[in-house]
Amino acid sequence: MTTSNDALVRFIDVQKTFDGETLVVRNLNLDVADGEFLTLLGPSGSGKTTTLLMLAGFETVTHGDILLAGKSLKSTPPHRRNIGMVFQNYALFPHMTVEENLAFPLESRQAGKAEIARKVGRALEMVQLTGFEKRRPGQLSGGQQQRVAVARALVYEPRLVLMDEPLGALDRQLRENMQYELKHIHESVGVTIVYVTHDQGEALTMSNRIAVFNDGAIQQLASPSALYEEPENAFVAQFIGENNRLTGVVKSVNGSECMVAIDGGGEVAAAAINIGGTGSRTTLSLRPESVRIDPPADGYPDRFEARIEEILYMGDHVRVRVDVCGHDDFIVKVPRSREAPALAVGQTRTIGWHPGDCRALDVA
Amino acid sequence: MAAPPYATPLQKSWYYALRVICGLIFFFLIAPIVVIIPLSFNSVPFFTYPMEGFSMRWYEEIFGDSPQSLLWQRSIVNSVVIAICSTALATVLGTMAALGLTRAEFPGKSLVMAVLISPIIVPIVVIAIGVFYFYAKIGLASTLTGIILAHTALGVPFVVITVAATLQGFDHNLVRAGAILGAGPLRVFRKVTLPIITPGVVSGALFAFAASWDEIVVVLFLASTEQHTVPRRMWSGIRELLSPTIIAAATLLVIVSIALMFTMEALRRRGERLRGISPG
Amino acid sequence: MATASPPNGGADANGATTPSAATTPSAADANGVFTVDGVPLKIKLRRAERWARLRAIGLIVPLFLFLMVSFVLPIFTMLWRSVENPEIGLVLPRTAARMQAWDGRGFPPNETLAVVVEEFVAAAGDRTIGKAAKRLNYHVAGYRSLTMKTARRLERAAKQQGMEALLAGPDLIERFKGIDARWGERRFWTILKQASPPHTAFYLLQSVDRDFDEDENVVKVGEHRAIHVDILGRTVFISVNVTILCLLLGYPIAYLLATLPTRQSNVLILLLLLPFWTSLLVRTTAWLVLLQNEGLVNDLAITVGFWDDPVQLVRNRLGVYVAMVHILLPFMVLPMFSVMKGIDPYHLRAAASLGANPLRAFLRVYLPQTIPGVGAGVLLVFILSLGYYITPALVGGPRDQMLSYFIAFHANTTVNWGMAAALSLVLMCCVAVFFAMYQRLVGVGNVKLG
Ligand SMILES: Nc1ncnc2c1ncn2[C@@H]1O[C@H](COP(=O)(O)OP(=O)(O)OP(=O)(O)O)[C@@H](O)[C@H]1O
Ligand SMILES: [Mg+2]
Repeated sequence: MTTSNDALVRFIDVQKTFDGETLVVRNLNLDVADGEFLTLLGPSGSGKTTTLLMLAGFETVTHGDILLAGKSLKSTPPHRRNIGMVFQNYALFPHMTVEENLAFPLESRQAGKAEIARKVGRALEMVQLTGFEKRRPGQLSGGQQQRVAVARALVYEPRLVLMDEPLGALDRQLRENMQYELKHIHESVGVTIVYVTHDQGEALTMSNRIAVFNDGAIQQLASPSALYEEPENAFVAQFIGENNRLTGVVKSVNGSECMVAIDGGGEVAAAAINIGGTGSRTTLSLRPESVRIDPPADGYPDRFEARIEEILYMGDHVRVRVDVCGHDDFIVKVPRSREAPALAVGQTRTIGWHPGDCRALDVA
Repeated sequence: MAAPPYATPLQKSWYYALRVICGLIFFFLIAPIVVIIPLSFNSVPFFTYPMEGFSMRWYEEIFGDSPQSLLWQRSIVNSVVIAICSTALATVLGTMAALGLTRAEFPGKSLVMAVLISPIIVPIVVIAIGVFYFYAKIGLASTLTGIILAHTALGVPFVVITVAATLQGFDHNLVRAGAILGAGPLRVFRKVTLPIITPGVVSGALFAFAASWDEIVVVLFLASTEQHTVPRRMWSGIRELLSPTIIAAATLLVIVSIALMFTMEALRRRGERLRGISPG
Repeated sequence: MATASPPNGGADANGATTPSAATTPSAADANGVFTVDGVPLKIKLRRAERWARLRAIGLIVPLFLFLMVSFVLPIFTMLWRSVENPEIGLVLPRTAARMQAWDGRGFPPNETLAVVVEEFVAAAGDRTIGKAAKRLNYHVAGYRSLTMKTARRLERAAKQQGMEALLAGPDLIERFKGIDARWGERRFWTILKQASPPHTAFYLLQSVDRDFDEDENVVKVGEHRAIHVDILGRTVFISVNVTILCLLLGYPIAYLLATLPTRQSNVLILLLLLPFWTSLLVRTTAWLVLLQNEGLVNDLAITVGFWDDPVQLVRNRLGVYVAMVHILLPFMVLPMFSVMKGIDPYHLRAAASLGANPLRAFLRVYLPQTIPGVGAGVLLVFILSLGYYITPALVGGPRDQMLSYFIAFHANTTVNWGMAAALSLVLMCCVAVFFAMYQRLVGVGNVKLG
């Protein structure tokens, strides 16, 4: 099990401000386990890059401390941290060939000629760019440049590699290919990766754990499945995946369950995740695929009449927008199959869900 | 290139009129410089075509060993020494300052910037008499050092402006990449920053060199015969009797200018290529 | 993927999962500007960033100090000379003090005149009187010879009669009048008074053709001495004309360069840069050679039959215009070119497709967009021409010299530093005004070269 003692990186009460008035990072506490692929995910401006830059040593830490392998980084300049980094625009040296780019970190470490040649060759092999040694970055495609950047960050075998939206500049197809390649490299090299992205699909596919950032603070830190299936607050529920929200007031709490009176009328049972006491307001979060139309009688105590407003054919599933309890933006995903109910706009049908899939969260 | 086929007659005539007008203006710009160069090879001291015959005698007056020639040669040496020293000084100081200016914000920055580029704005006569008045008090008038210092000041703005412009297009992530890859600040500067800004630095240096090489007014005030430069000797000649020797000296200056200009163009194109290939 | 679990069981062991952070604002937020340990953020921040800033400033300081010492200080020292007035105080210190105390009415009192006599004699003895005489002569021609003559006579008299006898008698003023009748005019004494203080507005007033009269009122100087306003006007007039000519010639060129395909315009730009890089002295010399009476242009014109006898084309205003326009034209074209280059040619076509005739399209659509470049070019050329010296000096006649020429003249020939400094100040003020405009338009950081 990961314990705080064998964490490779520890952020302890880290705060950061640029102007002395607003905190861009508030009181960050975060452990990165050795060998882990940890993603920082969050909307634009939430402080992900800033966090990464503090770890790399390019931004000063206004308050708090960052430990790498148990040692404070406070007085270690970037070039002594032995961290690898892939920049969003790759930051390849335009005046050097691919080979020279890869040799640069090794030369900085006074490696011998033979060793340099061997390591550069191996790194290029790893990113499948053998034969491109003499090219300059300007003579490479975007994907190739990206791979050179990855190779350069790994060639000197750092324990930790930081990546700030490394795939952001690539088109979709290439980006998905690179996601698999990066994942493979991570698994085969065993390096620790801290990855920044604001693409949740990317985060869910690649990471061991995801830290969801908003407004300079971590909202939830969990595995991709836990994050998707068990969001702990309304922001995470809304930010990751698709989400239906119903607002209401807590009527009663019974252990891990609660009853909520929905604003538009009606009462449902829900999992009590993040609520105040009886009488407090709450947001109910429901994934569209957890909702059934014409649910079977048992196991679906939460049932409502809903009017079908719109039907969108998506290929593998059908998206149905319904009006329920006064919310007309409620989405239901119906998987396409022979047994699927026949639907038409204007119908009023019964919808229902399992109480465990309906999570009562804070008011966002 | 011809006028587009769909043009109306009026547009066509305007199209050709513009080209004729511009041709005349370019003729006005280039002809005076080109036309005097052959005159420096004229065998007689007249400034008219057709030339009587070809001769190198005016160049001999510069490169021969008469007392006059020795003065010319001395002025060439002075010009070269002054231009090289002031260019070196201006390049080092100007590059450092440009690096500092693009690195941090601080109060009064625009004022500092105004001071740094003021030497190309203040009228040259004011600079010349100011420097003369002050340097005379501290014993720098009529010395090569004094002229070098003044020419350095004149060249500095060119270096600051060109290097700062180059740095504006400089991707600061490259410095960060260099650092995180394990290179100390000095190595990053030597291996990453410097090679990339070099075209800008060299352009600035060329401008500074040209500024010193062509400069006459400061020299007019600050130099005694010992420190005369080529333009200063030309000046005496022009004021006394315009001889083809002056034109020969002018031709030499033009050749240096052309060399500087082509170096500059080559650098600019190289810089554009480099910029073109940097990602993002 | 949704079922993938973290490598090591992946619990958030240190409790980094703090949902509360989302809902409750952190301490820093509540207090606005304090860190957890209570130090104001601003101070902490300043500490952290001081180092980076110091390093940047450290890079600028060498050049800044260098320019301050080798450039700014000399110019300011020289400009300060325009209000300095040391001569009388140095040569005739007690006289200067006495004259300043005198109220300027009638003639100076006898004790004061006695001091004047003593110091004139002393200064004639050690030959410093010439310096004071030269200074006084700036006010009115003839004062130098008056001073020299008076000092010599007084010195001789002192030798013959002894100083005691020289100073005896109630009316020393009569003795002065006896030497030269001009001492009977009050203004020669008020001039001595006005020339006495260590600082003076005299040169600055002179630079705009003003002077003090006997009662310390500012008045216009006499017709024959009022030349400086004329010179300033001439300088501005020539500069304006040169700027207009450059604009007229430069606009078509910039337009052509901006609309030609890059390959062709690159070649033409070289033609533009060649004169730009060629020494100013060389180009001026070229025009001198071409335009002189025995020069190429006259030769050609006579051969073709335009005129029969050589026409004076140089050492007059025409020569100045031709040479200055030739030298400054690239400075006009380059900024206009860089602006025109950025104008989308489709605008013109769009206007044409909307039915505007070409001229109208040009005037309404293209021209307004080029105004920033035109402004930058016009101001640059105007600023540069205001300070022109070499070119008018070589190809202009006596009536075509600009302000710079007279600054150099005062510094070099008459060695009247006060006047040179005052005229420099006038020129600097003109340039500063237009440079401020240029800076507003272009911005110091955006000055481009070539
Ligand atoms: N150098 C800086 N000076 C001042 N403010 C800054 C600076 N860098 C970042 N900020 C501010 O800090 C906040 C967080 O920025 P950061 O770059 O960390 O966001 P991010 O999460 O990486 O966003 P994105 O997804 O858009 O990259 C933003 O509000 C940004 O404006
Ligand atoms: Mg970012």
